[in-house]
Amino acid sequence: MSDTVLELASITKEWFGVPAVSDLTLTVPRGNVVGIIGENGAGKSTLMNVIGGVTPPTRGTMRLKGEPYAPGAPRDATRSGIAFIHQELNLFTNLSITDNIFITEYPRRFGMVDHRAAMTQTQALLDRLDIRHAPETMVEDLAPGERQLVEIAKALHRDADVIIFDEPTTSLTPRETARLFDVIERLREDGRSILYISHILSDVRRLCDKVAVLRDGRLVDEGAIGDFDIARMIRAMIGRELSSLFPDRSNLPSGQVMVQVDGISQPGVVADISFQIAAGEVLGLFGLMGAGRSELARILFGLDPAEKGSLSIDGREVRGAAMQRIRDGIAFVTENRRSEGLLMDAPISENISLATIGHIGRGPVGLLDREAEQALAEQARSDLSIRASDLTRQPVRALSGGNQQKVVIAKWLAASPKLFIIDEPTRGVDVGAKYEIYALVDRLAAEGNAVLFISSELEELIGMCDRIMVMNRGEITATFDPRETEPRFEREALLAAAFGEIVT
Amino acid sequence: MSGALGLGERAYDLVLRQATVIIFAIVLLYFGFQAPLFLGPENLGNIVKQSAFIGIAAIGITFVLLTRGIDLSVGSVMYLAPLIAGFAMREYEGSVALGLMVAIGAGAVLGAINAFFIVALGILPFIVTLASLFAFRGFGAYLTSSRQFDFAPALREFGLSSVAGIPIPIIVFALVALAAHLVLRHTLFGKQVYAFGNDPEGAVKAGIPVPRIQTAVYIISGAAAGLSGFVLIAQIGRIDAGFGEGREFDVIAAAVLGGASLFGGVGTALGAVIGATLIQTVSTGLAFTGVNLYLQPILQAGIIFFAVLIDSLRQHRQKLRRRRSIRPIAT
Amino acid sequence: MRRGYLDRAGTILLSDYFVLYLSLAYVAVLIPFLPVLSTPANLSNVLSNMWPLLVVAIGQTFVLTIAGIDLSQGSVAGLTSILIAILIATAAPEQVLGHTPVWGWLLSEAGGPLAGVSFGTWIGVGIVLAIAACIGFANGLAVAVLRMPAFMVTLVGLIALSAFAIWLTQSNNIRNLPDDFIALGKGTLVSLFFGEQYQAQLPRREVHAFVTWPMIVALSVAVAAHILLSHTVFGRRMMAIGLNREAAEISGVPVRRIIVMVFVISALCAAIGGLLYTGRLETGRPTLGGGNFLLDVIGATIIGGTSLFGGKAKILWTVWGVLFFVLLGNTLNLMNLSAFHIDMVKGGVILAAAFLDVSRQRLRRSRT
Repeated sequence: MSDTVLELASITKEWFGVPAVSDLTLTVPRGNVVGIIGENGAGKSTLMNVIGGVTPPTRGTMRLKGEPYAPGAPRDATRSGIAFIHQELNLFTNLSITDNIFITEYPRRFGMVDHRAAMTQTQALLDRLDIRHAPETMVEDLAPGERQLVEIAKALHRDADVIIFDEPTTSLTPRETARLFDVIERLREDGRSILYISHILSDVRRLCDKVAVLRDGRLVDEGAIGDFDIARMIRAMIGRELSSLFPDRSNLPSGQVMVQVDGISQPGVVADISFQIAAGEVLGLFGLMGAGRSELARILFGLDPAEKGSLSIDGREVRGAAMQRIRDGIAFVTENRRSEGLLMDAPISENISLATIGHIGRGPVGLLDREAEQALAEQARSDLSIRASDLTRQPVRALSGGNQQKVVIAKWLAASPKLFIIDEPTRGVDVGAKYEIYALVDRLAAEGNAVLFISSELEELIGMCDRIMVMNRGEITATFDPRETEPRFEREALLAAAFGEIVT
Repeated sequence: MSGALGLGERAYDLVLRQATVIIFAIVLLYFGFQAPLFLGPENLGNIVKQSAFIGIAAIGITFVLLTRGIDLSVGSVMYLAPLIAGFAMREYEGSVALGLMVAIGAGAVLGAINAFFIVALGILPFIVTLASLFAFRGFGAYLTSSRQFDFAPALREFGLSSVAGIPIPIIVFALVALAAHLVLRHTLFGKQVYAFGNDPEGAVKAGIPVPRIQTAVYIISGAAAGLSGFVLIAQIGRIDAGFGEGREFDVIAAAVLGGASLFGGVGTALGAVIGATLIQTVSTGLAFTGVNLYLQPILQAGIIFFAVLIDSLRQHRQKLRRRRSIRPIAT
Repeated sequence: MRRGYLDRAGTILLSDYFVLYLSLAYVAVLIPFLPVLSTPANLSNVLSNMWPLLVVAIGQTFVLTIAGIDLSQGSVAGLTSILIAILIATAAPEQVLGHTPVWGWLLSEAGGPLAGVSFGTWIGVGIVLAIAACIGFANGLAVAVLRMPAFMVTLVGLIALSAFAIWLTQSNNIRNLPDDFIALGKGTLVSLFFGEQYQAQLPRREVHAFVTWPMIVALSVAVAAHILLSHTVFGRRMMAIGLNREAAEISGVPVRRIIVMVFVISALCAAIGGLLYTGRLETGRPTLGGGNFLLDVIGATIIGGTSLFGGKAKILWTVWGVLFFVLLGNTLNLMNLSAFHIDMVKGGVILAAAFLDVSRQRLRRSRT
C-alpha cells in the first residue's frame, strides 16, 4: 500500500561545473516523514530548490505521483502539490491570516475579492489546525509558532501532497514545537508526505519514519529510523567518528567573583535579576523564546535601559552606553550575526577592527593605521583559524556561517574584554564548526574571562557550562550547580524551571 | 496584553494613532475661532476643491509608497501630460473628454517609462524618477519652447462647472479616491500591493506577479499625476513652463501626512485624501487670517514634521511594546 | 586574448577613475566638433562652475555614506546667501527692501550691521556658517535621536528654510556686497600661486591661470573630506553606520553623535557652496538653491558612484561626478541647446549612470 509519491532519479545539479548535488536517487513514500540531514553546504538547500522548482536540475529526472515532474518555477511546484515552508516564514505581517492564505488566488465576486467566502474557508482550515484566532487577525499580532501554523494552513489550502519543512523549530518554543510535531503527525495520518530538514537530530529521530543523510552533495546513508541512532547520523554527516560533540572543559572556575549583577529590573521586561560569574566560569542562561534572555543581555550591554539595578566587573560599577561598556570590558556576541554582528559587505579586517577602531586612530584627527589593522586581522586569522583568502578584500558575506561567527568573536577578542555575553552562538552553524565554537568558549574561560552563554539548546548548555541559570517571564526561576547536585544537570528539572507556570 | 496597559498609556496610543485627524480638528477649530466664516460651507467646499490637485496625485503616489518605491517625477508629469492633452485637443479640435483621456493616458505612458527602467533594468526608483523629473519637464519645455500654452476656452468652462451643485474638481477627486479605495481594499491586486511592500522577496517567493505589480503602481501614479494636473489646468485655462515644479514634494508630504510610510506596506487612499485636505486647510486658513504669503510654507512644513515625528514615535513604541510583553506590569 | 581585453575593460569600469576617463573621452570626442571647448576661457568657465557645486556635493556624499539623504542643502545655500548679504551689504535701497521684516533693525540705507566693520566680512561668514551648523545639528538630532527618516526631515527643512529665506527679503535680492567678499566668489590668485610646489599638486599645465579663491576653498574642502572619509576612524565609523547601523551601534560606534556630525558637515558644505555662489553672482539671492540645484547635487554625486544605500562612497568619485556633470552642462550650452534640452540630457545621464552602477555591481560580484 505504501506507494511512492515523489521519486528522484540520479539528480545532479552543477553550478559552473561544480556539483552541489550529484547523482542522487531518493524515493518519498506516501504518508511518510523523511528526515533530510547533513552539514551546511552538504547540498540540502540545493536539493530542496530543485524539488521546489527554484532551479532546474542539470541532469536527472523527477516523478510526482507517477507523472514526470519538471517544475519551471516555484509556482509550478505549488500547483503540482508541493509546499515549501522556509525557515524564514513567507508571510505578510501587514495582512490578515485570510489574505495571506489567499494572496495568489482569492475567490471573487463581481470582479472584486469575496472576503466572506475566503473567511469561511480560512476558518475551516484554522479549525483543522486548532488555531484559535479569527481569520481576519493580522499576522503581526501572532506569535512565531502561530505564524508557522498559518504557513501550514496555506499548504493545506493548496492541498499539497508533499510538504517541505526547512529548519522549522529554530524560532519556536518547546511548547510550540510540540504542537508543530502534533500537526505533522496528523498530516502524516492524512496521507501527506513530509520532507523534514533539521540540525536537531533528536527531533529527527523522534519525528521521522526514514532518514536520508547528505554529504558533499551525495546521499551517503539512508534507511528506516529504527536503524539510525544519533551516533550513526553524525558519523554519516561528517564522514568520521566524532568522539564527542563537546570539548572537555580545560579549567575550573576560580573562586574569585568577577561579574556581579544586582537587582536589575525594567518594567515589562525583566525583574530583579541578580547573579555572579566567577573568573574562568561559563554561566549558562536557558529559557524559552521570549523569556527575556536576549533582552537581559541587551540591558547588560547598555543597549536598552534598566530602571533599577547595577552591574560591576572586578568590583567596578559599569554604566553608560554600549561604547562605554565595551571600554569597561564587556563583549556581546549577538543572537543574529547578520543583522547585528557584522557588516556583511565590508572586508574581514574592517569587521575585526570595528570595536577597537578608536585604538587604531593616530594623531588628533584619528588617522587610520592600516598596518596595525592588518596585523590585528592576521593575528585573528592564525589565532582562530579563520578560513579566508584575502582579509582586506574579501567581504564577510563570502564566508561560511562558522567563519563569520569567528570574525565576530575576533572583533571582541581585540577589545580584550573580561565578560563575554554570547547569545545563541551556534545557530545556523554546522556540526563541525559548532565544535570549534565550543572550543573557543572553553578557551575564553580558560584564559580567565567570565562567560554568559545564552542558548535555547539545552544540550550545548549542559555540555559547556559550569552552572546554568533558567529564566522564565523575565525572572530567574532557578540556578543549577552540579557541584552541589548530582548527576551533573538534570534535563527535566531545567525544562520544568523554564516552563515555570506548568510545574507549579 | 492591552488589558495590562494603563488608561494614560492607552490614551497616548490613541493620540499617536489618530494624530492626523486630531491635528485636523485642532486646525479647523483654531481657524474657526480666528474667523468664523472659515467654517462656512462655501469655504470648506473651496478647500476640498483646491485640495483635489495635490490630493489626486497623492492618492496615486500612495500606491508607489506602498511598494517601498518613490516617484519624484509627479511634478513634471503634472506639467507634461496635460500639455500633451492640450496639443491633442488643439490638433484634433477635440472635446474636453478627449483631453481628459489623453492627459490620463499620457500620464500612464510616462509612468510606464519609469516602470520600464525600474522593473526591467533594475535601477532604483529614486534615481529613475529623479532622472525623469528632468527629462519630462525638458520634453515639455521643448514642445512649448518654454512658452505659456493656452487651452481652448471650453476646458475652463468645464473646469469651473458643477454637477448637482458639486464642482467638477470635487467630483473627480471623490471618484479617484473611491476607485483607489476599492482597488486597494477589495481587489487581489490591492492586497498584493500591500504584500509586496511588506516583504518584496517574500512576494516573489509566494508567486505574486511582482514585475506586473511594480509596473502597475508607477503607471497608476503617472496617470493620477496627469489627471491632477489636468484638473487644475481646467480651472485656470493655461499652462506655463514652471507648472507643477517642486510639487512632487507636496504630493509626498500629503501622502505621508495621511499615514503612508516611506518604508512600504502602510497607507490608504483615504489617508492621502485627508493629508492633502489638511495641507490645503492650513494654507487656506493662513491666507484667511492674513499671514504673510511667504511664511505659509513654514507652518505647513511644521505640520508635516509633526506628523512624521508622531509616526516615528508610534513605530518606536510598537517596537518597545513587543519587547515589553515578556512579563505583566504590576500595577 | 579576447578575454584579456574584456578583463581590462572590466578593470577600467571598476576603477576609481572611471568617471574621469569618461569625462576625458567625452571631451576628446567633442573637441573636433566644438573646438571652443578647449579654449582657456571655456575651461576656466567650466572650472568656475565646478567649485561651488563640488563643495555642496561633498556634503551630500557624507550624508549618503551613512545611508541618509539631505534635501535641505539647496535651501541652506539660499538662506546663507541672503543672510550674508543682509549682514555685510554696504548699502540697500529702501524702495526695494523697505517693507522687508529685516528693514530697520538689521538692514538700512547704510547696509548691514557689519558694513564697514573691520573684518566684517569674515565675522559675517563665521556667523552664517554657525547658523548653518545649527540647522545641520537640528536635522541630525531629528534623524539620530528621534529616528525620523532623513528624507522627510530634510524635506521639511527644504520647504521651511527656503520659505524663511524668501520671507526675509520678501523674495528680493540684495546687491552692494563688499569687494573682499566678492573676491571670495571670483577672485583670482595668480600672484599667490607661482611656486613650483603647487604645480605638482594640481597637474594641469595652465593651472596657474585658473587658480581662484573658490578653487582653493573647494579643493581644501575636498582634501580634508577625503582624508576624513577614507583615512580616519570617523570615516570608518560612518561607513559602518551606512552598512549596518545596528551592528555598528553594538560594536561601540557612537552612532548618534556621528549622524549628527554628518548632517552638520552637510549643512556647512551647503553654506560654503552658497557663499561661493553668492560672491560670484555679487548678489544675495534667497532662491539661490532652488529649482534644479538639489537635483544637480544628488545627480552629480550618484554619477560619481556613491551608493544611495550607504556604506559606499569616495570623495574622488564625487569630484569626477561633478566634473562630468559640469562638463555636460557646459558642452550642451556650447552646442546652443536650450535649458530644456539640457534637462533632458541630464536626466538621461543620471539614468545611464545608475544603470552603469547596476552593471558594475554585477561585474564586481562575478569577480569575487
